Amino acid sequence: MAALQEKKTCSQRMEEFRHYCWNPDTGQMLGRTLSKWVWISLYYVAFYVVMSGLFALAIYSLMQTIDPYTPDYQDQLKSPGVTLRPDVYGERGLQIFYNVSDNTSWKDLTQTLHMFLSAYSPEAQEENINCSSGQYFIQKEFHAPNHTKFSCKFTADMLHNCSGLTDPNFGFEEGKPCFIIKMNRIVNFLPSNNNTVPRVDCTFLEKDHKDFKPLEVDYYPSNGTFSLHYFPYYGKKAQPHYSNPLVAAKFLNIPKNKEVIIVCKIIAENVSFDNPHDPYEGKVEFKLKIQK
Amino acid sequence: MGKEKQEIYSIAVNGTKDIERVDTERSDEGDGKEKRKRHSKKDHQKELKKDLDLDDHKLSTKELEDKYGTNIVQGLASTRVAELLAQNGPNVLTPPKESPEIIKFLKQMVGGFSSLLWAGAVLCFIAYLIEFSKDKSASMDNVYLGVVLIMVVILTGMFAYYQEAKSTNIIASFTKMIPRKAFVIRDGKKREIPAEHLVVGDIVEIKGGDQIPADIRILASQGCKVDNSSLTGESKPQSRTCHITHENPLETKNISFYSTTCLEGTATGMVINTGDRTVIGRIALLASSLGHEKTPIAIEIEHFVHIVAGVAVSIGIVFFIIAICMQYRVLDAVIFLIGIILANVPEGLVAAVTVSLSLTAKRMAKKNCLVKNLEAVETLGSTSIICSDKTGTLTQNRMTVAHLWFDKQIYQADTSENQNDQIFDQSSATWASLSKIVTLCNRAEFAPRQESVPIMKKVVMGDASEAALLKFSEVIMGDVIERRKRNRKVAEIPFNSFNKFQLSIHETEDPNDQRFLLVMKGAPERILEKCSTIMIHGQEQPLDESTAEAFQTAYMELGGLGERVLGFCHLYLPEDEFPDTYTFDVESMNFPTSDLCFVGLISLIDPPRSTVPDAVMKCRSAGIKVIMVTGDHPITAKAIARSVGIISANSETVEDIAKRLKIPVEQVNKREAKAAVVSGMELKEMSPEELDELLIYHTEIVFARTSPQQKLIIVEGCQRQDAVVAVTGDGVNDSPALKKADIGIAMGFAGSDAAKNAADMVLLDDNFSSIVTGIEEGRLIFDNLKKIIAFTLTKNIAELIPFLIFIIAGVPLPIGTMAILFIDLGTDVIPSIALAYEKAESDIMSWKPRHKKKDRLVNHQLALYSYLQIGILQSVGGFFAYFTVYAVQGFKPDRLLYLRPLWENGILNDLEDSYGQEWTKYQRKYLECTGYTAYFVAVMVQQIADVIIRKTRKNSIFQQGLFRNKYIWVGIASQIIIAVILSCGFGGIPILNFITLWVQYWFVAVPYAIVIWLYDEFRKLLIRRYPGSWWDKTMYY
Repeated sequence: MAALQEKKTCSQRMEEFRHYCWNPDTGQMLGRTLSKWVWISLYYVAFYVVMSGLFALAIYSLMQTIDPYTPDYQDQLKSPGVTLRPDVYGERGLQIFYNVSDNTSWKDLTQTLHMFLSAYSPEAQEENINCSSGQYFIQKEFHAPNHTKFSCKFTADMLHNCSGLTDPNFGFEEGKPCFIIKMNRIVNFLPSNNNTVPRVDCTFLEKDHKDFKPLEVDYYPSNGTFSLHYFPYYGKKAQPHYSNPLVAAKFLNIPKNKEVIIVCKIIAENVSFDNPHDPYEGKVEFKLKIQK
Repeated sequence: MGKEKQEIYSIAVNGTKDIERVDTERSDEGDGKEKRKRHSKKDHQKELKKDLDLDDHKLSTKELEDKYGTNIVQGLASTRVAELLAQNGPNVLTPPKESPEIIKFLKQMVGGFSSLLWAGAVLCFIAYLIEFSKDKSASMDNVYLGVVLIMVVILTGMFAYYQEAKSTNIIASFTKMIPRKAFVIRDGKKREIPAEHLVVGDIVEIKGGDQIPADIRILASQGCKVDNSSLTGESKPQSRTCHITHENPLETKNISFYSTTCLEGTATGMVINTGDRTVIGRIALLASSLGHEKTPIAIEIEHFVHIVAGVAVSIGIVFFIIAICMQYRVLDAVIFLIGIILANVPEGLVAAVTVSLSLTAKRMAKKNCLVKNLEAVETLGSTSIICSDKTGTLTQNRMTVAHLWFDKQIYQADTSENQNDQIFDQSSATWASLSKIVTLCNRAEFAPRQESVPIMKKVVMGDASEAALLKFSEVIMGDVIERRKRNRKVAEIPFNSFNKFQLSIHETEDPNDQRFLLVMKGAPERILEKCSTIMIHGQEQPLDESTAEAFQTAYMELGGLGERVLGFCHLYLPEDEFPDTYTFDVESMNFPTSDLCFVGLISLIDPPRSTVPDAVMKCRSAGIKVIMVTGDHPITAKAIARSVGIISANSETVEDIAKRLKIPVEQVNKREAKAAVVSGMELKEMSPEELDELLIYHTEIVFARTSPQQKLIIVEGCQRQDAVVAVTGDGVNDSPALKKADIGIAMGFAGSDAAKNAADMVLLDDNFSSIVTGIEEGRLIFDNLKKIIAFTLTKNIAELIPFLIFIIAGVPLPIGTMAILFIDLGTDVIPSIALAYEKAESDIMSWKPRHKKKDRLVNHQLALYSYLQIGILQSVGGFFAYFTVYAVQGFKPDRLLYLRPLWENGILNDLEDSYGQEWTKYQRKYLECTGYTAYFVAVMVQQIADVIIRKTRKNSIFQQGLFRNKYIWVGIASQIIIAVILSCGFGGIPILNFITLWVQYWFVAVPYAIVIWLYDEFRKLLIRRYPGSWWDKTMYY
């Protein structure tokens, strides 16, 4: 097998490669003649066109079969997530550290809140209707304009002291900061099966702060409830102007110069906050350190 | 290296000059010298010297005693033995150098794809380190992946090593089967010791049936004959005496060589060389110094690895650059690179290929082909030339009566293995006489205690021709011994080379007939000389001109068939001259030995095995050239070649044409002759170019009277034609040729250990037709490996595309690295092995052997069809499943595009989907895993279609039969079961990223599986319909 073992020199290999790229004897480029290349390319083009067509058809029929208003399955969104504003993330999750005496350290935080609440200004909420029933706002039909459903207004002023209207600094300056808690939207989600109102409950994380006094919180709207008339959510297409109801929590007795961990849970029948994998399901946990 | 070797061998061809220069005292063509020449060229200068010094045959007993410090009567002293044993080592051949087990093991770890996987693992650790240096709490996912990759490499390496070791062990145990003993005289006492313990100077005794335990100088001999066939290829027994008969130690009769067999008689000798220093040992060393060549399949797999690795690395690098340009972080780009490499490497393929090869090896072992090296399985399939021995391989290796001539007529005898069908005319009175002579004028006897053994299988004591005649008469007339008893022998002259006849005188069985019967057989011309009458139809007639001519014609004709012809005659001695009481004296020959009555001729031949002609036909239709290489006479060789079809009925040699046209041989156009019979002498004169020409222009070649060394030259000549050459051999001298051949085939019965060591395969029944069944298996496995690789490569694209789309279109990752590993090493392994059980699509033995440089295992058709057609189709199916899962959960395809930065943003816990719902990071991750699982299941479902379409390359699935290969269904069941277990059982293990998938998602890809199947049926239909068309050339792999 001398033939198989023969070592080719580099120049021989290069020559072979050149010959492969362009073979003047047979007019072959890269092993095929030009016409063969055209043919095979045409075939592949045709093949891919047909295949793309098939794929497009499949996707099209998929889109036709799925409901435009409600997702077909919601098994993966059983319980809503909870988010916090302002949201500053450190190495492990949310952490809000600031210095009372240093404007610049909290200016960004209040700025975030102002930005966030701008979507709750009366102008932004103009399309929505006023609700005061405190009951689930069940709409079977599309009575709103453009074949949609009505959404309830939620305006920033409902947050009173934490609306940024009376106190543009949201209490950060005096060490009693406001945090806004938002529950994620889920189509057709009802927080409870009876008419119990979901509410926010913020505490120090017990295991870490046994020696602290219980956390004193002012909730806005009062009791930290999400009014039932914001539920259920009928989806983007049915309720294009829907905005999530909010709860603001103003912490009154945060010890200074100390890192504390606060957890805000949503207490409702259909909201679970004990999923070990998902730290943001039904609750939000954050570190807070106010320096003086 | 290659060049050097060539030089060495060419010296063997026309090396006479050199030999003369080196060693003028040696005369001519000694095979041994050629061997020595090679040694000298191999820088074995020292050994050469020692070789030339071998003059023990010239020494007297006294000188020998002095030289070796021994005593012929007393033997060596035990103290001296221990000393010598320590000094020279045991009397065994050093087994060929094997690389240490650990090296073999490590080789499995770094070869092929392993290096790519190592690179992947290293990248994983680098990625983790980068991440860790930035952020102490970096996730360990990359470390896990790296560890898994290393485990994959180690496990597949261990598996391949285990398979390899297992098949090697079969042979190892094979060689060790027979422990050898030797009778030795030491300290004045005779004892039996293992042959390994012999030392130089030992006095050994040998007897008929023993193998010579070392190179020995004969000191005393009683009718000792040895079979040197394993050394020289000469199968005639040679006598051994204590006298020097030749200057050349290889030719002289007072030296007998290690591993040759003593056939009869006894002898006493002195050990002059042991172990590797024996003549045989030196040849074995030479053979093992010839390096092992890469097998064709190893080259093919290497080629395939290059293709895949090339694709993996180039796509990897291109997308690494793209990712950097798209402003991904370097870390992300590295992770993409890992994914791309992982997707491209068929991790499970090595195991599947190894298992398939060993399955075939097992199947071949059942058909009497024992394969030493797994890869040799396929080499046999690509064989294009077989250089076969004659004796024992093509023939039955026993003399058999082939023709009879009496009553001026030639009769044919049955030469099949059991001979139960003797149909010639037995009614003639001449036959009665002839049969009597055959029975009586015969010294051979059946060995005792084999009453239950069929006649043809009985062991006979006596020489080959006599044994043939004995069995012949036993078959036709029944109890020969009884008949001999009835016709008591009164005198006898055994055959000798001077008389060239054998004679015996018997009483007749007829009690009324008091005459003595003189029977004689021998060389026909000598017998005829002694006759004055001839028996025709039972009547004695004077031997006239015309009868003598008829005899001559018959004799020539039978001789021309390569048969050994014997003449038979008899004479009833007149009662008056030789009464009852007459004493015959064989010394003085007091009885007539002329004017006898000629009765007939019987010719003998070593007939071909009955299965061989068929096998040769099969080879011929399979485009395999069968070349006979034999030490036998050209006429015999040609006759056997004709009868087995190596030279077909209507083809002629140059000599035949010359005879037909009645012109001198020189005037014949050599190109007209298809067949050629070349003798060793002619071969010696040939230049390599002439040999090439011979091999190219003649399709039917017989090499006769060749020495085993010339086999090597023939093999080389064949290999120069780019042929894959299989060589059969049994002698030690064959071992270099066996080693040189692409596949060396040693004989299981007749083969010497050295030959078995050098060979890649051992033929347990020594039968040529077993080679052909082996070739069939080899070809089948090549086809099936193609199918396996096509099957395995297809899904690589389906694994790769998600990464590319992920990078380019920014969708959430459709399939994770773990899922890829689970496809490659989980669901796909058993189906790919099941493809090894696939039956041939059409008559596999009607195709030409593959050209080892043109017909690649993985050609561009296979790669393109698998990668760019079926692979892409599978990806489309997978993506459809992926999009479906996301869409029904809320993320419609348009929402997914370029969503990646948000999707993977760890601090975004309210990502909106198409319906306005908001998802936390974990909820998205869970959905992503659902996507992985859905994509995984989709690929699995389409791989079911893939394994079904890969059953055939050309035929419709229905022609092949959906259920003929049950293992395919086992494979499919395994795919589904593994997928179900992964999806259900491992849903809870976070790093595996599998989610329990709802039933409806399992069927999303089914339409695509059906499309794949329909498309492939369409492809095959067009290939069958329009052979040779553009479609056929482009789509048939």
